[in-house]
This record gives sequence, structure tokens and C-alpha cells, in this order.
Amino acid sequence: MEVFYFVPEVLFYILSGLILLSSVMVVSARNPVTSAIFLVLDLFFVAALYAKLDAHFTAAIQVLVYAGAIVVLFVFVIMLLNLKPEALRGVRFSVGEAAVLLITLVGFAIIGSELARTAPEAVIPGNLGAGAIELAGGNTFVVAMRMFTSYLWPFEMASILILLAIVACVMVAKKDKVLGAAHHFRGGSPE
Amino acid sequence: MNPYIPVIVVLIFGVVLGCILSGLAYFIGPKRYLKEKMDPYECGVPKVTGAAEKMSVKFYLTAILFILFDIETVFLYLWARSFDQLGWLGLVEVAVFVMILVVGYIYVVRRGALEWD
Amino acid sequence: MGTNFGIDLTSLLQWNQFTVDLVSFVVKFAILAGGLLQIPPVMVWVERRVPALMQRRRGPNRVGLFKWRLYGLLQSLADTIKLIFKEEVVPDGAHKVFYHLAPVFCVFPAFLIACAIPYGPDLNIFGYTIPLSVVRVDVGFLFIFAISSLAVYGVSLAGWASNNKYSLMGSLRASAQMISYEIPLGMSLLPIVLIYGTLDLGKIVEAQSSFFKWGAFTAPFSLLIFVICMFAETNRAPFDLAEGESELVAGFHTEYNSAKFAAFFLGEYVSMFVLSALASTVFFGGWQVPFVPYESLVAMLGSPNIAAIVGVLMLLLKSMFFMWLYIWVRWTLPRFRYDQLMSLGWKFMLPIGLANVVGTAVVLAVLRFK
Repeated sequence: MEVFYFVPEVLFYILSGLILLSSVMVVSARNPVTSAIFLVLDLFFVAALYAKLDAHFTAAIQVLVYAGAIVVLFVFVIMLLNLKPEALRGVRFSVGEAAVLLITLVGFAIIGSELARTAPEAVIPGNLGAGAIELAGGNTFVVAMRMFTSYLWPFEMASILILLAIVACVMVAKKDKVLGAAHHFRGGSPE
Repeated sequence: MNPYIPVIVVLIFGVVLGCILSGLAYFIGPKRYLKEKMDPYECGVPKVTGAAEKMSVKFYLTAILFILFDIETVFLYLWARSFDQLGWLGLVEVAVFVMILVVGYIYVVRRGALEWD
Repeated sequence: MGTNFGIDLTSLLQWNQFTVDLVSFVVKFAILAGGLLQIPPVMVWVERRVPALMQRRRGPNRVGLFKWRLYGLLQSLADTIKLIFKEEVVPDGAHKVFYHLAPVFCVFPAFLIACAIPYGPDLNIFGYTIPLSVVRVDVGFLFIFAISSLAVYGVSLAGWASNNKYSLMGSLRASAQMISYEIPLGMSLLPIVLIYGTLDLGKIVEAQSSFFKWGAFTAPFSLLIFVICMFAETNRAPFDLAEGESELVAGFHTEYNSAKFAAFFLGEYVSMFVLSALASTVFFGGWQVPFVPYESLVAMLGSPNIAAIVGVLMLLLKSMFFMWLYIWVRWTLPRFRYDQLMSLGWKFMLPIGLANVVGTAVVLAVLRFK
């Protein structure tokens, strides 16, 4: 867009600010479901950041898997455990804690900008610029080709990882079946 | 124009529409407070005091298996997009991937983790 | 970062690609949103008259204008007005924020997905090509699945925020059902990507140029699986246990009345339409007219813009067929029990979906790679 030159930078800062804000809300919300919904928002903004970097596939997957599956799992577990908000201690920042947090964030920002400034300028060979990706068939296609040729072993290892996860979760959840009783979560505190 | 600008605008519109609908009745409808109206609905009988409900762990299992097979589907989408260029080699690679996950699936089914009684 | 932060606003006052895109987006979206908002009233009327006729009774046919009965068409208007002006009873102990927020999660995914569907071939106005989809992302399918997986939150939050243990149970079951059928839904569209080689919906429609290249003929099992999962995703037809009238009252939206209930309704009907449109796009050729390829259509009609309008009408026709199918199936088949439903999803749909993908891949490999 030749019209607005500075929009990309401003957008990055806006998105980053929103991400940080949502993360703080995730941690400091009293109700676990509120935390989960702020996490969804957070992941959504991260996906927006990916989309801004032209990583469309990663952005879609971020929403699909992370915000649309993993946080759903969190929400299910929260609802199964049926925790009442009053039973949780709220996180309130004291002045000292807030000061420490602020100093940490500022420190990160300083270190990060220093590192970024002294990073080598050379583009890692094999990476494509945005225009070249479009010519090569689009973001998804390039990722796919790269994954099934150069990164084949991580791909197959991922399938082993998933298998491990399947077996582990079935074993954990069905462990009492061996003892003969069905495993139930007990609901939370009485009325 | 960046393809995501319409996405953001439509998203905001959808959220605003939802909020308007949600708030509409709150602001327009009458408000006649009766204690009985505020009780949770249990087919018209007074509320059976909530003893702790036992929620099943099956929901947790369903959610986890959903995540794992969702990830598998995502990888399969990547492969499907580049199917022509990868040829037989790609098919074999993905067949190995799917086979490992089928082993996992058979384990789940045999272990009875998907039984809903 | 250059030192010139100047904004070249004068370029906004001329017709260039950016302003054409902007204006066409606003117009397209206004038309689409207006159309989508008309769907629930029409569907409610259809949903009551059609099963009535199927069951050899009349259905609502009284509400009309002055003394014309009008076949009860204004019944929907009466229902809408009633729903809006009803008192909203917020139950005791309902969560202050999420009770009001849950309907929003059911409404916006449907609208967002509806924007990603190509409604017709490109318009050509004064030399600018205007695509007839409101949003055009190149990861078409994945975008649609990503957004539709957010609809689960509406259902879960609604039941949880109602402070009613039956609502909570109903919403957990409905959410579990929705996520269980999302996987076969995704897998059923994989053979389509294999066959047509692209994730972009617009290109998939263009690739179905002749009648026998339609997705229904090249991937018939996918069509079957997709249609079944379509019913399960929207909690409709034989899979509506979580909200069926005789089970758990109304499931996750028991404690919701008046306009919020209308919001859930809106979300449900719009997502029905969206999935119908998706099925038409992928399996039935989208905006393509059967037996008439796009070029001959343009040649027949003279202008690509008229062909675009015809295309839009074709897509709407095909989507209406699927909406009709929704209602037909709902009033024909008995409801599944919940455990049958989950067994069907995990033990039948998932392996069949996977076998479908693998089989299609092998057949295509033999045909294409030699």
C-alpha cells in the first residue's frame, strides 16, 4: 500500500501491545475461564502477527490448533473441575511487584533491541523473500515442499511424538480401568 | 489491499452484531423481578440442591484426541497441497506418518478409551 | 524507515486498485451481511411449513397482512418481534460477563466464514477485476476450519455461564460432539485438495469447469462424509441430542431467552447456510452452471458481469438445496443417542475419512505419476 508508509510498524507495536496485555490478563484474571478466553484472544493476536509476516499457513494453524483445540481442552478441564472463583486467590499486584515487572520488561526490551541491532545482516541462505514465495506457489506450498524434503525427519518424529501423547493420555485417563472402577472427576464445592 | 483487512472488519462487525443482539433484550424488554424466575431451570421443579456432579473424564479424553488428530490433519493438508510435486516419495513418507498414527488409533479403540456409556 | 512520513492522501481520491478494492469490499460485505440476516426468518418459516406439509398438516398459515393470509409468511416477523421484546431473565448466579458474551461467539464465526466463499466469477468493471468473495485468503480451507473451530466456545461458555448443571452437561456434550466431528470434516476435504491441487476456494470452483469434474463425481465418499459431518457440526438433524426438545430441555441455551436466544438461532442458521454454501462450492461446482463452462456462458450472455450474477444465483440455488436437505433429514430421521453419536464420529467417520484420503492418494498417484 503506497498510501500509508508507517502502518506496518505501527501495526506491529499495536499487536505486540495487545499480546502483552492479553497475557497479563491471562495471568491475573481471577476466574479460570476468563483466563482461558484471554488466552484465546492472545493466540489470535499472535496469529495476526504471523499473518503480518506473510506466514499465512502458520497463522491459520495457530488459530486452528492452538486457539481452537488446545484452549478448548483447557476450557473442558476447567468446566469439569468446576472451580468456583471465590475459591481462588486473586492475583493482585502490589506496588513492589509491579515495579519489578516493569523493570523486567524494560530490561527485555533493551536487551532485545541490542541483540537485534548487532545481529548479522546476511540473510540465511535458502530463505525466500516475500515476493519470491508468491512466485514459488504461495506460502503453504513452500512450507510443504520444505517440510517434506529438508525437514523430513522432524516430520516423522512428530508422528512418533503424537503417538506417545495418545498412549500417555489414554494410560493416564484409563488407569483405573485396570483396577476395575471407572475414573470420574468429582465436581467442585457444594452449593 | 492486504487480504486480512476485510477479515478484521468482518470480525469487528460480527462481534458488534453479537453484542447488539445480546444487549437488545436487556435494554428493550421489561424487567419484572420474581424470585422464581431467577432459579435455574430444572423442568419446573424446585432446584434439587447441587450435590457435586460427577463429570466424566471422557470429555478430557475426547478433547485430547481431538487435538492430536487435528494436528495430524494439518500435516496431511500440507502434504495434500504439494502432492503432485512430491510424487511417490511423498506418498511413502506420509504413509509412514499415517501408519504410526493408525497404530495409536487402534490402541485407543482397543483400550476402550472411546467408549461412551 | 524513511524520514518521509507523508501520507499520500490524494491517491485515495482517485480510482486505483486500492480504492476499488475498498469500495467493492464495503459493497460486497453490505450485501452479504444483509442477505445473511434474512436467512433465519426465511428458514424459520420454511422449517415450520415444510415439515407440516410432510406430516400432512398445515403449519402456521394465519399470520398475514390485514386480511391476506400470505401463507403465514409474516410468522417469522411476528416471531422476531416477539423475541426481541420479551423480557430477558438473567438467572441468579449466571456469570456477569460470559452469560452475555457467549452468544457473540456463536455469531461471528459464521459471518466470517461466509465471507471466504466465492459467490461468483470475477466482475469486470471499467477494467478492474473484482473477485466476488468478500475475503480472499490463499489458505482458503484452513481459514474456514480455523474460524469454525472457534464456534465451540460459544456453546461451552453458554452452558457454563448459565449456572445450571443441566445446561453445563448439555453444553459439554454439544461441544464434545462438535469437536469430534471436526476431524472427519477436515479429512473429508483432503481428497479435494489432492484432486484439485489447491487450497484456494476460488481456484477449486474454477477447476470444476465441466459437469463431470464436479467434486461430487471425483470424490463421492468425501461428499458423503462431509454431508454427515455437516449435520453434526451444526448440532442439527439426527445429531441434535444436545439441544433436542425432549432432552435436557434445551441443552446449552436453556437459560437464554429473547434476543440472546435469537442470537444463537442466528448463528446456527447462518452456519447452516455457510456449510451448505461450502458443500456447494467444493462438491457441486460452486457458481458454475452445469454443462455450461464459464467461457460459453460469457459468450451466451454477452458480458462477464451478467455471467457473474448468474453464477451467484446458481450458488444460492445449490446452497438452498442443502438447506432443504437439512430440514428434510431433520424431520425424517430419528435422533441418535449420544453414545451412538460419539461412536459414529470416532469409530466410523474417522477411519473412513482416513481410508478415503489414502485411497484417493494412491489412485491419484497411480494415475498421475506413472
